[in-house]
Amino acid sequence: MIKILLRYTNLLVLTLLVVVIFSFALAYLFPGEPYTNLTGVIDEQAAAAHQNLSVTSAFWQYLGNIFAGDWGLSLMTGQSLADEIAITLPATLELSLYALAFALLVGLPIGFWAGLKPHKGIDYSVLGASAVMHSFPVFWLAMLLVLIFSLQFGWLPMSGRLNLLMDVPNVSGFIFVDIFLADNIDRSQAAWDAVKHLALPTFCVSIITMATIIRAVRRSTLEVMHKPFIIAAQSRGLSNAQIFFKHGFRNALLPILPILAMQVTTIITNVMIVESIFSWPGIGNWLLQAIYQQDYPAIRAGMLAVAGAVIVVTILIELFNRIIDPSREKFEDVTF
Amino acid sequence: MSRFNLYIDEQHPSPWQQTWREFKRSHVAMAGIIMLGFFTVVALFGPLIAPYDPLLQNTDTTLIPPSWDPSGTVRYVLGTDALGRDLFSRLIHASQVTFGTSVMLVMVAMLVGVAIGVMAGMSYGVRASIINHLLDALMVIPTLLLAIIIVAIVGTGLVNSMWAITLALIPHFVHHTRNTVRELMKKEFILATKLDGASKPHIFIYSLLPNMIEMLVVQGTIALSIAILDITALGFLNLGAQGSTIELGAMLAESLNVVYIAPWNIALPGLTIFLMVFSVNVVGDGLRAALNRRLRH
Repeated sequence: MIKILLRYTNLLVLTLLVVVIFSFALAYLFPGEPYTNLTGVIDEQAAAAHQNLSVTSAFWQYLGNIFAGDWGLSLMTGQSLADEIAITLPATLELSLYALAFALLVGLPIGFWAGLKPHKGIDYSVLGASAVMHSFPVFWLAMLLVLIFSLQFGWLPMSGRLNLLMDVPNVSGFIFVDIFLADNIDRSQAAWDAVKHLALPTFCVSIITMATIIRAVRRSTLEVMHKPFIIAAQSRGLSNAQIFFKHGFRNALLPILPILAMQVTTIITNVMIVESIFSWPGIGNWLLQAIYQQDYPAIRAGMLAVAGAVIVVTILIELFNRIIDPSREKFEDVTF
Repeated sequence: MSRFNLYIDEQHPSPWQQTWREFKRSHVAMAGIIMLGFFTVVALFGPLIAPYDPLLQNTDTTLIPPSWDPSGTVRYVLGTDALGRDLFSRLIHASQVTFGTSVMLVMVAMLVGVAIGVMAGMSYGVRASIINHLLDALMVIPTLLLAIIIVAIVGTGLVNSMWAITLALIPHFVHHTRNTVRELMKKEFILATKLDGASKPHIFIYSLLPNMIEMLVVQGTIALSIAILDITALGFLNLGAQGSTIELGAMLAESLNVVYIAPWNIALPGLTIFLMVFSVNVVGDGLRAALNRRLRH
């Protein structure tokens, strides 16, 4: 157990280091002075001094700054990048989390249902529906939903996280936590407003992940239900429900975790696209603004934050998977 | 099959023939391959079919609805956009760009990915470990982020966004190639070839490649659907095709400001992307199912 933990910590540290080195290299690859790209400060003397520094000592300085929380300043707003990311990243993570939860909540039961009745009408219609869901370009889906639910019927708001009239101070960055912490407001009304704002973006992002989950669950259920121990359980006279919930369910869930780990990057990409359509104040929207305005320090810091978050989440899922499923081949356990 | 045969020999169909026979049994997959063929024809001969110049602006005919609408005309089958350009011609040219570039970049990614994957799979120790770790680090960077970085370094444009997507797809191929090669290298027929004194390139060409091709075709269809979705997404975010290059995602982005008065300008390009990805996915699924059935028999 300790060996596994050490191994994964090692992997995490090494991969994060690779990402930091990559972000450092970006400062030299982007147009403009490396010093400006690293700090967001335009200062010719400091830039000249920085050029005299060897690359390794410049890197150590950069690493120290990253750990000290000094990620540089934005060229456009002049604000500290670490502060801006601390506001935008939680909004993105929140949306991704709800999308993943919704995809699991709907995808798992449907996948099991289809897997338990293979090659029947239900199974084929579920497979067909998941093929359709899997082919939707996420931005088109978002636009269609806005067109139907916001413009045509006016049921749901088309942009933002919360009605601007709601005065909720930003404490944690997670909207429901903030609503709970805020005083002097009608909490239930604010929460209902937040749910309404969340509905369309969450649905758009979760559709594609849901399709992947449905297919994976269906296939693994199908495989598990043909295993010898299921036949043994049948011969002992157990009912279908007993067999599924006691023997099939947990074994069918096992192959889902690695697929979730692979889905993290897909979800983040889709969230970033959806954010730009719904004006969601997340990091994807922020990064796109940065690229339109050629704010190179912001792109460097944003890349560091997003890649770091994805790596941490992916490795945590992998670690969890390794702990609950020791039967996985040793060889494969450090690849995600 | 009433061909005269002197030797009473049973004719064994080749693996590809068997796969095709299994594939044909699924009507959905056949519909998918017909649709895919249609898109290929459009990509190859599109400009010959298009009735108008896709860039020809005509201020007298702006925002004409499609011909099935009461106020539409047959001269513009799918209507016109805000600058009076014929939507049908634009869709044909855009499909050509989107589909063509996607196929091209999947091929490049496959070539590079298989080369690296075979190297990683056939080598052991430090070299394999370094390749694996670097690629895994690359694999966790979301495609859009990679595209943003590449665009920041070299500027916007269709070719630059193609590089970004190729770079994002390569680890996908490396991953699957590496796993397949690892599994195959444990088999006895590889050991036999090795004992016969075969060199590594020989093992790759004669023993590994024939056993990998089917996996590559299936992975290729998956990568193609990802590539189409990504290239249109980048076009939509103004990071991909620019200006006079017509691309489906960029078309959607252009029609954003007429979305309420001319919804067909949004619906039709999106539908084209959807059908393209859908046909690729259906063919991929059919192929995978056919391969599974063949291996089970």
